[in-house]
Amino acid sequence: MKNVRIWFEKKDTARYISHLDLNRCMSRAFHKTRLPLWYTQGFNPHVFVSFAMPLSLGMDGLRECMDVRLLEEMDKETLIEKLNGALPLDIHVYDVTEPVMATHEIAFAHYEISYDPDPVPAGEAEKILRDVMGREELIVEKHTKKGPKDFNLAPYLTDWSLKTEEGRLHLSITLPIGLSGGVNPSLVKSAAEKYGGLTLFDRTARTCLFNEKMEPYR
Amino acid sequence: MINQQIERLLPLVNKPGRYVGGEMNSVIKEKREGLLRFAFCFPDTYEVGMSHLGMKILYSLFNEREDIWCERVFAPWIDMEARMREKNIPLYGLESGDPLTDFDFIGFTLQYELSYTNVLDMLDLGHIPLHNRDRGEKDPIVVAGGPCACNPEPLADFIDIFFLGEGEEVDLEVMDLYRACQKEGVSRREFLRRAAQIEGCYVPDFYEVTYQEDGTIRAITPKEGVPAVIHKRVMMDMDQSYYPEKFVVPFIDIVHDRAVSEVMRGCIRGCRFCQAGFLYRPLREKSIGTIDRQCRALCESTGYDEISLSSLSTSDYGKLNELLDTMLPWTKERKIGLSLPSLRVDGFSTELTDKIKTVRKSGLTFAPEAGTQRLRDVINKNVREDELMKTVEIAFSAGWNRVKLYFMIGLPTETMEDVEGIPALGMKVIDAFYACKDRPRGPAVSVTVSAAAFVPKPFTPFQWEPQDTMEMFREKQQHLIHANHSRKLQVNYHAADTSFLEAVFARGDRRLCPVLEEAWRRGCHFDGWDDCFSLKTWLEVFSDMQVDPQFYANRRRSFEEVLPWDHLDYGVKKSFLIEECRRAYRGETTANCREECSACGAGCYGGGICVEKRANLV
Repeated sequence: MKNVRIWFEKKDTARYISHLDLNRCMSRAFHKTRLPLWYTQGFNPHVFVSFAMPLSLGMDGLRECMDVRLLEEMDKETLIEKLNGALPLDIHVYDVTEPVMATHEIAFAHYEISYDPDPVPAGEAEKILRDVMGREELIVEKHTKKGPKDFNLAPYLTDWSLKTEEGRLHLSITLPIGLSGGVNPSLVKSAAEKYGGLTLFDRTARTCLFNEKMEPYR
Repeated sequence: MINQQIERLLPLVNKPGRYVGGEMNSVIKEKREGLLRFAFCFPDTYEVGMSHLGMKILYSLFNEREDIWCERVFAPWIDMEARMREKNIPLYGLESGDPLTDFDFIGFTLQYELSYTNVLDMLDLGHIPLHNRDRGEKDPIVVAGGPCACNPEPLADFIDIFFLGEGEEVDLEVMDLYRACQKEGVSRREFLRRAAQIEGCYVPDFYEVTYQEDGTIRAITPKEGVPAVIHKRVMMDMDQSYYPEKFVVPFIDIVHDRAVSEVMRGCIRGCRFCQAGFLYRPLREKSIGTIDRQCRALCESTGYDEISLSSLSTSDYGKLNELLDTMLPWTKERKIGLSLPSLRVDGFSTELTDKIKTVRKSGLTFAPEAGTQRLRDVINKNVREDELMKTVEIAFSAGWNRVKLYFMIGLPTETMEDVEGIPALGMKVIDAFYACKDRPRGPAVSVTVSAAAFVPKPFTPFQWEPQDTMEMFREKQQHLIHANHSRKLQVNYHAADTSFLEAVFARGDRRLCPVLEEAWRRGCHFDGWDDCFSLKTWLEVFSDMQVDPQFYANRRRSFEEVLPWDHLDYGVKKSFLIEECRRAYRGETTANCREECSACGAGCYGGGICVEKRANLV
């Protein structure tokens, strides 16, 4: 038995698949391909899959991964090809590797966000957003398991860059992530609305996960 | 392939996965000249509609044709609908994202009466003129089929063509006619006139209904040479009949998310309350080979790990054990579970439990329908108490400890004694559990009895019966609760208000069209959902429009009365239904089709069980 890490993109229509639904979608794909995978041994056997980090509903994921257990050695290309044949168009497997890091090591995530500031002109919106993101304190409402909670976003806005392109704002940002609670990039939008009066329509892509030392998750 | 406008709404609504399409096996075609576009509309949510087998069959059948592109459309949930209306975004097909006005045909499936307001809502949201008479040459043709098309009169003002019976052939014939008419350049009216000549097509606008002083129908008269009687369509050879090899596999969780094999159509039983039992006659089985082949193909294309062997009563499939023996080896090897819905009390055996037990163990559900033997004979359920006891004993011995029993209240001739019989029967099941030596140890037995309110339906022997009034239902429901003295027995009942409205529309006529429209205008939609249904609004509308809903729901009709669906023919003769109604009053049961032919009239199709050799005959 061999653990392998399957890397995939989840974008466009697949953005609207929740984490739970993605789990089912993958199980079906595995089932369909009849790959030699390890199934749980319970009453309702299913393929053992473990995802790195859930992706928020509506977000594109460009470097997502999940672990499965292969029962026999398999050619990487064949595995990729078979899986892609069984997956919907907007979920695309592009690599299979041996796992190097463990899930609990994941500490940061990088996001590329494109904001439509309409009706505010992009140049003006950029100025407002820069101003908001530069503040000492940004109290926004954060949804936690125990309900909404006031949260100061400002200390986490340490690594970002903002530019304007073709009437849209582009924000590259790295934020903490983890099972014990991270910072969702949608909070930036909440802060822009609360402190800058700016209503932004976003398209967000999670591009990479990192460990404590900012090494890409492998 | 939804556009930016729609995309902007998605972060603001619940379950956006309902509105985006892009699922595995959904069909995308290139738009081109001459491509006929069909919008298959299910007037309920995505989760409900995607579970519907008829849609899966027709979707694939239409899309096999290179010159037709069929897309799916569902009723957006109230949050999404409000946003779409606010932004003036028209209802669109999930595959292309194009508005309904871009389609040639808008087709609705009518599965239950309480979805009628959604039909209007979807037409309006799609910017299609509501009334068939207001549609012009450029507007799509609006068609509808499904079980409720057997009495389509409450929708007669809104639908251009109703399809009676099974749609596999007639839908394509009508689309071919449409294409031919387009080439010929004839008018919409002329196309509809020609369509009315196709068997199974009912174009309501060509029929005039007149009424008598007492409000009953005087006559239904055909105009412009259309047939006086419209006959339903049936697929007689189930092995040759089209069945999809692929299902669209949804991303989000839907009601029935699994592969479905339709093992047969029709039912041998003839339970007198059951509309499906009469509408889908005669019983036609698929061969084991066909079922097995279709299931393999479906599992291959979808990745589902569960197959439901579906029909109105799967334990009546002639060679069920043989079928399971054929399928079990490969399904087991591929970790695919088999499930059998609609098991009859008398169709449950140790042999069967041994086979389906290999799969999953959920609760067992049976439907004795009535609490006493007398009433079960009246409704021709033909299930005896000792059979139920034998069945639950088998189930308990095989390790089940949860049993649900479904009943109806308000059945013809019902007394309070019959109502008391419901919890009494539940108690006997609990006693059977403790009397069972091999009962499962561990969690205690759980028995639920659940009572729905009976709705008399067209084309059943009870089509002339009054429905109990809501007061009577409430009294019976209270009685039901008070008659239960055990904490081990759960007693549930369904609210009678929706059943009342269902009864009005099930046997309604054309005079309900304006009522339906007004109710919709006042905000009624998703009437089948408790969080949306408002009886108060409906009653106000009836009162304001001066239409008495009790005339439709609670009135006893005479056998001589012209019924709103008398010009529609589903094979079963009215004289047979009358005879069945009389037998019901005498408490006499009628043999099932496999035991003996009762000459119901479905023999006119010359196939299925009607021509099969019965085991007791030489």
